[in-house]
Amino acid sequence: RFKSSTVKECIRTILKEKLANVQYIPEEMPQLTKSLSETIKDRLKEEGFDRYKMVVQVVIGEQRGEGVNMAARCFWDADTDSYAHDVFMNDSLFCVVAAFGCFYY
Amino acid sequence: MEGDKRRTKEDTWKSEELRKHLWASQPDSQNEDQKHREKKLQKEQFVHDRDAHKHERKDRGKSKERTRERFKSGERDRDKMREGERGKEGDRERYKDKLQESSLEKERYSVPKDKDKERDRERDKKHKKHEIKQMESQNNLKSFEGRDKEHHRRRESRHHLEEEKTRSKERERRHTEKKDNDTKKSTDNFLAYEVEEGERIHKLQKDQELYKERERRHREKKEHSVRPGKERLSKERSHKRYEKEREEKHKSKRSKEGSSHGDRGGQPAEANERVKSGENERKKRDLRNSEYKKEERIQEEMGNQHVRTVKDKEKLIEKEERDTRQEEMKDTHVYNSDMGFDNFSANYEDDFEDYEDDFDDDEEDKSGEEGDAEENLREIPFSRTSEIEEIQRAISAENDRICTSLPKKTEDERKEPIIERQYPSVRNSFCGIFMDFQMANQRQSSRSMTSKQKKRSSELLPLIDLDFSVSFSLLNLPPVNEYDMYIRNYGKMNTKQAYVQCNEGNVERDIQTEEVETLEKWTQHPGESALVSGGPVNSQDMSVSGALTCKIDSQRLANFLRSACQVIAVLLEEDQVTTQPRWKQRSRQSSLSISDSCFQLNTNQPFLHDRKISCLYVSQVQRHTLLSVHGLPEKAGVGLLNRKSIICVWNIWQPSSPQKVLICDSEVICCCSSPNKTPLVFGGTVDGSLLVWDLREDSRMHPHMMINETDWTFRVPTFSTDGILNLVNHTSSILAVEPVSTSVYTDQNYGLSSLSYQEEMSGTPFQIASMDENGILNMWVVVELQKVDLAGSQTDLGLIPGGKVKLVHSSTMELNNSLFPKDVCQRMPQTLTIKFLSSNPNRFIVGTNIGLVCHGTRHDLKVLPKLFRPQESRLRSVSINAIDFFPFGKPLFLVGCSDGSIRLHQMTSEYPLMQWNDSTNGQPIIALQWALTRPAVFFVLDAASNIYIWDLLENDLLPVTKQTIPSENVVTMALLGELEKTNGLLDIALAKESGQIDIQQVKKKWALPQPEECEKLHLLLLQSF
Repeated sequence: RFKSSTVKECIRTILKEKLANVQYIPEEMPQLTKSLSETIKDRLKEEGFDRYKMVVQVVIGEQRGEGVNMAARCFWDADTDSYAHDVFMNDSLFCVVAAFGCFYY
Repeated sequence: MEGDKRRTKEDTWKSEELRKHLWASQPDSQNEDQKHREKKLQKEQFVHDRDAHKHERKDRGKSKERTRERFKSGERDRDKMREGERGKEGDRERYKDKLQESSLEKERYSVPKDKDKERDRERDKKHKKHEIKQMESQNNLKSFEGRDKEHHRRRESRHHLEEEKTRSKERERRHTEKKDNDTKKSTDNFLAYEVEEGERIHKLQKDQELYKERERRHREKKEHSVRPGKERLSKERSHKRYEKEREEKHKSKRSKEGSSHGDRGGQPAEANERVKSGENERKKRDLRNSEYKKEERIQEEMGNQHVRTVKDKEKLIEKEERDTRQEEMKDTHVYNSDMGFDNFSANYEDDFEDYEDDFDDDEEDKSGEEGDAEENLREIPFSRTSEIEEIQRAISAENDRICTSLPKKTEDERKEPIIERQYPSVRNSFCGIFMDFQMANQRQSSRSMTSKQKKRSSELLPLIDLDFSVSFSLLNLPPVNEYDMYIRNYGKMNTKQAYVQCNEGNVERDIQTEEVETLEKWTQHPGESALVSGGPVNSQDMSVSGALTCKIDSQRLANFLRSACQVIAVLLEEDQVTTQPRWKQRSRQSSLSISDSCFQLNTNQPFLHDRKISCLYVSQVQRHTLLSVHGLPEKAGVGLLNRKSIICVWNIWQPSSPQKVLICDSEVICCCSSPNKTPLVFGGTVDGSLLVWDLREDSRMHPHMMINETDWTFRVPTFSTDGILNLVNHTSSILAVEPVSTSVYTDQNYGLSSLSYQEEMSGTPFQIASMDENGILNMWVVVELQKVDLAGSQTDLGLIPGGKVKLVHSSTMELNNSLFPKDVCQRMPQTLTIKFLSSNPNRFIVGTNIGLVCHGTRHDLKVLPKLFRPQESRLRSVSINAIDFFPFGKPLFLVGCSDGSIRLHQMTSEYPLMQWNDSTNGQPIIALQWALTRPAVFFVLDAASNIYIWDLLENDLLPVTKQTIPSENVVTMALLGELEKTNGLLDIALAKESGQIDIQQVKKKWALPQPEECEKLHLLLLQSF
């Protein structure tokens, strides 16, 4: 079962670890998002959701006072599939991570 | 258009519609599928032929499994299918199909084994034919057998599956048997051939019919197959080219075959054979078609069940497209196909095979969907795509091989593999074919995988319900407002600014506390006056008042207030007098002939009752101030004042009450006031003590007494010599106290007042001379203390606590010894009175009781004349009662004697200038005083209360008038008047025995000064010499 709480916790710890003192530098962000998503994906695999296909989406944006609204919509089997997301913010950036798990028959 | 339609289909398709579409379009594609499959099977067979019989089993098993599965579901769905068929529209093709199916099914169901056998036999026959033709190589034969067997087995297995689902073992057994049979048959080919021939012909005829139908359908199929997809159109062209090539190939092949197999038999025979085999094949195909159609039905049913599989969708789309295009392109393609068919009429079977081949290619090129669809009904889309890729790869590899082999090898070689595909009779093995085998192997394994997955998905899909979930909000970061941004960038860390609201609706930031209002107030303790506390109302007033207070000279203010109070009090007093008729009346009554008016000082005070006035004194400086000394009462009066004598200080303009009341324990005999404006009163008592009252002292220092609702302050002496200074103090009663101005009168000038004022201000000490009965004259220095000690002084024992004035003894003189000569001393003279010369304070005259007036001095050893004698030279016991100096500068003095004689002496001569002996009829003179306003006039009071007025200019022998005070005895008299003023105001204060004090205003004729009076007096006096 894809438990969003544990997944969320995973994401949170990883984000805290990786983004604690990171400043927003536009050139470095693409690489960072990729590595983040990979790390999170691997970590989630370790969690043992072996019947799940994972999709990890990482969005990093700069904090400049502008408003941001992000939403997701899924076409899936709501009984088995789930998602978890977490938001990390520091002074210079915000990072939104959404992990979707689809049950693999 | 296409896209639109597709979309609409996607959006709107439902199970019924889908079914319709499926029904409408399925058969065409099914045929194609069937062909494709056959083709594939042939390929496989080829492969297996190459690989001898080892692989056959494996493959067989696999295919068996596959088919078994398929038929399981197929049977399951057959009933449903039939139900669906019932409601089906009468489509011609489908109807035929149905018929075929039903017939075939019947055949299968009724006599499956027999039929199989028959078919086997047929096939065997066919193969035997081939065998006959190709007896030369055993390999060929074997492969042939294998192929047949495989065909046979497949059929068999299918039929078996239709009957029994789980009889795999049996089937295997049967297969083995069949194998055996096959092998037997192959061995017994020749034997059985003749017998089977008949059957075969029979069957052929039967099949022929089918074949005709088949042909027809085939044409249609062609049409249909040509239609779908643009790709197909484009491929159609290539098809045609390909077909032509094929034709050529076939022709060449045929010729080649003919050449190659020419030894066995003629071409026609071979052709015939081929026709036959083609027929056989067609027959087989028909059978298969029917089967496939059935399978298609099943598939459709399955499709209906799994309506939402993408595969079905795609199929449907394709079919849809085909249907739509069918109408568009029917004519042209029909013509084409007809033409093609006509062309191929001679060897149509080849065409057919070509067509199949092409179709196979088409199918493979397209996506392999249909081809795979037969076998892998339930392939999952993505697995399918992988397979498609595989297939495509295989095809491309194949094509490459072909292409590469083309230039290298001859036409024969090139054709051979293609032919081999179709006809196992031509069997030259090449490496390309070997590669095909590998690819096929792979494909088969992947197929099995995908089939599994397909199955899984088909089972799972109905369980899974996909839906659109609610959209999740991942992040909602509201924009930071401007102020927060500012604070975040420029504000302090970890602080947030909040609003402060003061008034209603008055929102302000960064507010500070209001300035505190301060107000200065003062208090005083103990409160000295009614104003104990106070202060400015506000700060502005404070500054103003502060400035004002700075300008205030408190001393001047006090002085002003004091004097103003006196003036006002006097005015009030006068008003009172005028409004009170009693007083007026009384004053009239008591008015004397010498006076214009008369009034009394209000001595009707309770504490003054029954007290005799012993002395009256008028201040030399303040002429309106009168001191009256009241003696001890005859009987006990008020407790406090019972044993005390009283000195009242009057202001004659304010006669209603005494200004101040002074008390002392002993009886005061004489008194005087200070020679300057300092309000000091000195008194000499009977017991020889000298007293000082400081009138400036605060009234609270002294005892109070409420008498007749009036608060009286009775001032006790500020300083008393009583009991102190015993060595120098008087031992007898003091007869006279005289102020001695030290330096004021050194010159005979009139700058006196100013000087005196200065003295007052500076507080210069002056001296007091006190003389007692024993002729001892003490000089006292009046010292004003700078510092007030409320606790009392340790050294100045006579000083009242808080007092400022004290007396310091200066000198003592024994008048009796120093003044009198020896002859006089024998008479034991007694000093009675003393007067200091105003012009020279060092010199004084002393009256004695022997009629002599001694002339003394303080510092000079000897002054002349020593004595002032009366005109008769002999000494008599005549006491000198009164002495008065001429106030206007000349060294003259009057002496009044107890025998009634009055002498006018000159300081320079021993004997008097004038002497009047009987003016009073022998009555002793009590008081005598020069008029202060007229130099030539003096007043005399005798013991008989007669007042005599002498005007020397008018009459130097007798007094000009005599006024007798009628009612009672007048004790003493004093003159009040301004010395320098010429307004003629001169008052006589008469102290009566009863204690009353009358003030008589002297008439103007004695008061107003006359011109050159001093000179006339001087002349008169000179004449009297």
